[in-house]
Amino acid sequence: MSTPPTSDVDLFADQVVLDPCPVHAELREQGPVVHLPKNGVYALTRYDVIRGALADWESFSSTSIAFNPMANQALTGTSLASDPPAHTRLRATLTENLSPRALRGLKGRIEAKADALVAELVEQGSFEAVDALARAFPLEVVADLIGFTGHVRDNMLRWGQAAMQVLGPMNQRTAENFPIAGELYAWCSEVTADDLAEGSVGRGIFDAEARGAIPEGTAGHIIHQYLGAGVDTTVAAIGNVVALFAAHPDQLDLVRAEPSLIPGAFNEVLRFWSPVNVWGRLATRDVDVEGTVIPAGAQIAVLLGAGNRDPRHYDDPDTFLVERNPVDHLSFGYGPHGCAGQGLARLEAHAVIEALSRRVKRLVAGPEVRVPSNITRSIEELPVLEVIPA
Amino acid sequence: MKIVLDRPRCEGHGLCEEAAPQLMHVDDDGELVLDREEIDEADAALANAAARVCPVAALRVE
Repeated sequence: MSTPPTSDVDLFADQVVLDPCPVHAELREQGPVVHLPKNGVYALTRYDVIRGALADWESFSSTSIAFNPMANQALTGTSLASDPPAHTRLRATLTENLSPRALRGLKGRIEAKADALVAELVEQGSFEAVDALARAFPLEVVADLIGFTGHVRDNMLRWGQAAMQVLGPMNQRTAENFPIAGELYAWCSEVTADDLAEGSVGRGIFDAEARGAIPEGTAGHIIHQYLGAGVDTTVAAIGNVVALFAAHPDQLDLVRAEPSLIPGAFNEVLRFWSPVNVWGRLATRDVDVEGTVIPAGAQIAVLLGAGNRDPRHYDDPDTFLVERNPVDHLSFGYGPHGCAGQGLARLEAHAVIEALSRRVKRLVAGPEVRVPSNITRSIEELPVLEVIPA
Repeated sequence: MKIVLDRPRCEGHGLCEEAAPQLMHVDDDGELVLDREEIDEADAALANAAARVCPVAALRVE
């Protein structure tokens, strides 16, 4: 048994968060665990150890998912930041209205919305894909689902982005976003059933609180998690769908010829460009990882994207192949904390891919614009210069 | 060998059914039904594939 190798990489440096793959590859080759003194973390870099750690909640606690103590403090008692057995009940309430079971009735409506939006954009002939599609679609779906109206609807994107940014280390991005994340927090602590549209999932959460299924005063926490976790990540995923299909017209052709590839194509988008770059855990004891020891109390950085490109698990991992169908990718996490909204994310993304592949023959895109971000990796602007309709 | 379902953990994502429709299905209420729990060597690979794709680790083979 030995100590893990050390690297002077800064995971949150601008150039690393903008283009993490080269750094991920370097760390992955150094070892399955690499100590990063600049960030005060032990990074998990390879597929097997990441999946193993996500399943092992007893050794890798979720009480430190953020990389600064203030954010971890603010998340105390939420489903996201708790371990079983407390986590189990919170999770059940969180997913009650969000599981594929609960969402079955929504499929047709989501598909119709995606189709109408894509039809309009194809008609325009050129558009800015992030604003007009990647942001517009999930905002509309999530707002309608939870029942957000008025100023909340207008603030969803700002709030959702800030909720992710503040999970980073205490850098400038984190500091600038705390006040914005605070607006969301304040609203969630005061929201009442009447603020949410009738018949919405948000109303359903208040009904659950009223009948005692969840403790009094916790409905707002659950709404906070829906908005905080579900907006920025989905925007990233859908933006990536458009960019990757524009850049790989042969792969779009495959999906156009064979619609049964749609779910697999979405898995490949998620594997190739993970919307979440890095996520935290806390070592509860000295953990032996393939012969090296992570000390008890250490902050862990789980590099989901590094695991997704691990050549020990995926052949030719740096190539985007829709026929690969990597059902076991790590982008939704795994195990007890596996993304609670993944059923909704699949409904949304499958609907977008289906509409694009049916209505579009080819997308000609200009250069994508990215801005550095602590946790989520997404495209800020993507000009689609020309649409060749199907 | 046996397929074991941790029912409270199952959220009905249905990926297991796609991997092993011969062994399990999601019913009309969105609940997972194990059509066969006791399995032999011939079905072990399928059962393991189903357990592997469960995103919330609600299935295991023992």
